Amino acid sequence: MDLQLALIFLQQGIASGLVSGSIYALLALAIVIIFKTSEVPNFAQGEVFMAAGYVALYLFVFQKLPIWIVLPATLVAAFLAMALFRRIVLDQVAKSAKDLVYLVIATLGLSYVLKGLVRRTGFGDTPRSFPALVPTDSVMIGQASVTILDLTILGAALAVMAAFFWMFNYTKMGRAMRAVGMNPKAAQLVGVDLKRCHMTIWGMSGVISAIAALLIAPKILMTADMGSIVMLAFAAAIVGGFSSLPGAIVGGFIIGIVENMVGLFISSRAIVLAPFLAILIVLVIRPQGLFGGKLTIKKV
Amino acid sequence: MIVTTSPATISPAPRRAASATAIAGLVIAALVAIALPAFTTGYVIYIANLLLVFVVLCLGLHIVIGETGQFSMAHAAFYGIGIYASALANRAVDLPYPFAMLFGALVAGAVGLFIGALALRMRDIYLALATFAFGEAMQWVFANWDSVTNGPNGLRISPARFGSLEILSDKQAYPFVVLFCVLMIGLTILISRSRLGRAFRAVRESEVAAMAMGIDVRRTRVIAFGLSAAIAGFAGGMFGLFQTFIHPDSLGFQTTILVLTMVVVGGLGSIVGAVGGAIVFGLISEVLRQAPQYQEIIYGGILILFMMYAPRGLFAFIGDRIKEVRRGQ
Repeated sequence: MDLQLALIFLQQGIASGLVSGSIYALLALAIVIIFKTSEVPNFAQGEVFMAAGYVALYLFVFQKLPIWIVLPATLVAAFLAMALFRRIVLDQVAKSAKDLVYLVIATLGLSYVLKGLVRRTGFGDTPRSFPALVPTDSVMIGQASVTILDLTILGAALAVMAAFFWMFNYTKMGRAMRAVGMNPKAAQLVGVDLKRCHMTIWGMSGVISAIAALLIAPKILMTADMGSIVMLAFAAAIVGGFSSLPGAIVGGFIIGIVENMVGLFISSRAIVLAPFLAILIVLVIRPQGLFGGKLTIKKV
Repeated sequence: MIVTTSPATISPAPRRAASATAIAGLVIAALVAIALPAFTTGYVIYIANLLLVFVVLCLGLHIVIGETGQFSMAHAAFYGIGIYASALANRAVDLPYPFAMLFGALVAGAVGLFIGALALRMRDIYLALATFAFGEAMQWVFANWDSVTNGPNGLRISPARFGSLEILSDKQAYPFVVLFCVLMIGLTILISRSRLGRAFRAVRESEVAAMAMGIDVRRTRVIAFGLSAAIAGFAGGMFGLFQTFIHPDSLGFQTTILVLTMVVVGGLGSIVGAVGGAIVFGLISEVLRQAPQYQEIIYGGILILFMMYAPRGLFAFIGDRIKEVRRGQ
């Protein structure tokens, strides 16, 4: 491979990596905000993402509703589903068992239920495509070719992240959430409504996943298994330290770029393996991730 | 944040009631198991063989999650290593099949020790994700290491031999499968009652306290991983007794979750739970095969409902109900 070609590949890899990375970053953010407050890795995040995509597909393509109804309806559905799961299922699980493992298994149960429901509707049988709402004409940036849709995805994802950061850092609700993440009991003592706070977090996590699904849907073929890209989001979260919000975002972009580079420079067959190797390597060398603080041991 | 299942919180009375029901169930299961080949078809025997393999897989997972409280999500990978290693050994060397099974268990156990050593610095979610990543990577290896595993085409397993006896049918394999399963249950009970088993549980309850009692926590954790993997590898060898074909698709996360579900449904932390959970949930998923369109929903629903209302597992749940009824009288 001569230098000229390598440079073009490099630029293309970064450009495509930023686009897919923004989706991983959104999903990683959705995982991390839950983990920070509930200490639960939500294994159903990918299926929430998938199911939200199908809700939008159903309303937009099959019910032919206008897009200004479809978008808010999908986001509201995702918010309610996740908030109710937290309130009805997980609060009960937490009441009858003290340990983390039971909550984790309950989220695995949710992932199966959501996948089964989507398959049951029959829309998941064949890969389906979601019509693009913005033009897919390509433009050149440097020597990389990207579409207007790509730029929209990146822009919208960054906007969502910025909005969430503002909410998390500068509003009263965000302060309550951070307090719950640090010490739930103390937060409750100063008047934070724990249940409502958890519901809001889980709901928001659902909304972020739904936005990721709406953004990426026109670029991929939708199947009931499309939630498996959540592995890349988990990899991103781990690279970022699993409890750091900026870490999740940076991790998402790193994973996206690495994935595209592996595909361009090594082989498309190795792409599947890349995230798992990334997870293993990061965990073995630096278990707290690139952005995590010192590893603390909570045990007596 | 510790993965524990403290049986200490369970008062002795329901536990006794629970184990009484469980033992009664096991006796019935044993009688059924002995009588089975006399009056059923080959397919039922095949299912029975598979169930017994899953019982052994559950025992392996029980050692690492139930006894030691370490979150391992790579069980299907160790099972797969056992299947491939014993099948290849059986093909390469002309020795009775149990040697191939032992080889499979040893290879899986060695990989388990290695993973356990790598995972020493991790716990909880990190451990779960690292072992998960290892499991997925192993499945990729099974599917892509063409020269050894025959890659995505799957591997044909040659019939198991015991001296001059060649096992060609599920019915022929059945007595051996039962025998090996009983041996593994016995071994697990022995381990659990030994000094090592007590060390496992001490590590589960509190690593700091275990350390204070002079237990080498790091070594105990690595041994737990190795033992669990070896037992899973042995289950892989049992699979090769009656199965003629293995495909990497059946060695993914789904299988790990299936085994985890069995252990949890039976009751995390007890051998009776692991064995009973494998049998009960194995039968449930066999019945669910009749309604494939609802399979995933029911499957997920069972997991969620168990976590909500019976997190200590089926047998503890039944024991509690029996106790309630008795108290009511």
